[in-house]
Amino acid sequence: MTIKELQTDMNCRAVWNGWEDREVTGAYTSDLLSDVMARSEEGQVLITIQAHKNTVAVAVLKDLSGIITASNRPVPDDMIETARDEEIPVFVTDNNQYETGWRLHELGGF
Amino acid sequence: MSTFRADLHIHSCLSPCGELSASPRAIARSARERGLHLIALTDHNSARNAPAFAAACRSEGLAAVFGIEITTREEVHALTLFPTVKTALEAGDEAYERLESEPFDPGFFGDQVWVDENEEIEGMLDKLCILCATDLSLDDLGPWCRSRGGILIPAHIDRPAFGVLGQLGFLPEGPFEAVECTEPLSEDLTDPWPVIASSDAHRPEDIGCRCLEFEAPEADFEALVMALESGKTRALYGNK
Repeated sequence: MTIKELQTDMNCRAVWNGWEDREVTGAYTSDLLSDVMARSEEGQVLITIQAHKNTVAVAVLKDLSGIITASNRPVPDDMIETARDEEIPVFVTDNNQYETGWRLHELGGF
Repeated sequence: MSTFRADLHIHSCLSPCGELSASPRAIARSARERGLHLIALTDHNSARNAPAFAAACRSEGLAAVFGIEITTREEVHALTLFPTVKTALEAGDEAYERLESEPFDPGFFGDQVWVDENEEIEGMLDKLCILCATDLSLDDLGPWCRSRGGILIPAHIDRPAFGVLGQLGFLPEGPFEAVECTEPLSEDLTDPWPVIASSDAHRPEDIGCRCLEFEAPEADFEALVMALESGKTRALYGNK
């Protein structure tokens, strides 16, 4: 599954456009950024409700393929700005984290 | 009794988010220019700049407090403040030791360096001191801090990221010596603790933008703690 396929299949909204498409190798769900720092793996997409610019920093440092902010959490402007600067795709979905993970499992097979 | 101004939350070039220009000397100079009397250095999960900070404050005629902004396992940021360089260094090294982190590429945040009193770089931390957490809980921190003669102040409790109210949804029982807010907050949320305001500056020019006024016979750590205990403090949110 690629990021573009994820966006279409999961019906989530990109907070900025123009990112480069890439392979999504899996997913990681957590709201403790230190946990994401310690345990997420390169290429995974992060499902979280931590919608702030520090989440983008974690995605950069761990080379994650993107961020999905669940439960329709509002994404602040400075997070969008940082995501654009760092070229990290960020999506918003109405689904909660469990539903998002479950759907990703169904669609992406991971 | 005199009225003094303190800024108890300042970052230096040791913090990954702190500018390289934020040397202890630049911090002390800026603090004096802004009319502060007592300042605390509170880098993330390390106190390695404390010796240079002590020297810089001495030459600017400022009282210095030596602190660490610790990331608890709940991802709450908490200020731990100590009266001496030695205790802060020991506490800081233990916090750093207890930080769960891999080596990282400093490109994104910038280097985490500590300097000597002449601003020469002495060393560099290779664990990432923000975004990673120690294994200390907020409940552990009180005894951990007080057994070393320090005080504990949960930082920016009203911020959505890394503030205790955002992380936990409530203020735990404590005890705390104070809580730090970035703007005036309802007493329901802060009771029964005194409220402090401080800059959380990552650039020297932001130092003192918020600060704490306290009444005391002199400006030092002990007098500050007494002022907090006896309600002789006032948080100032707009000190630009």
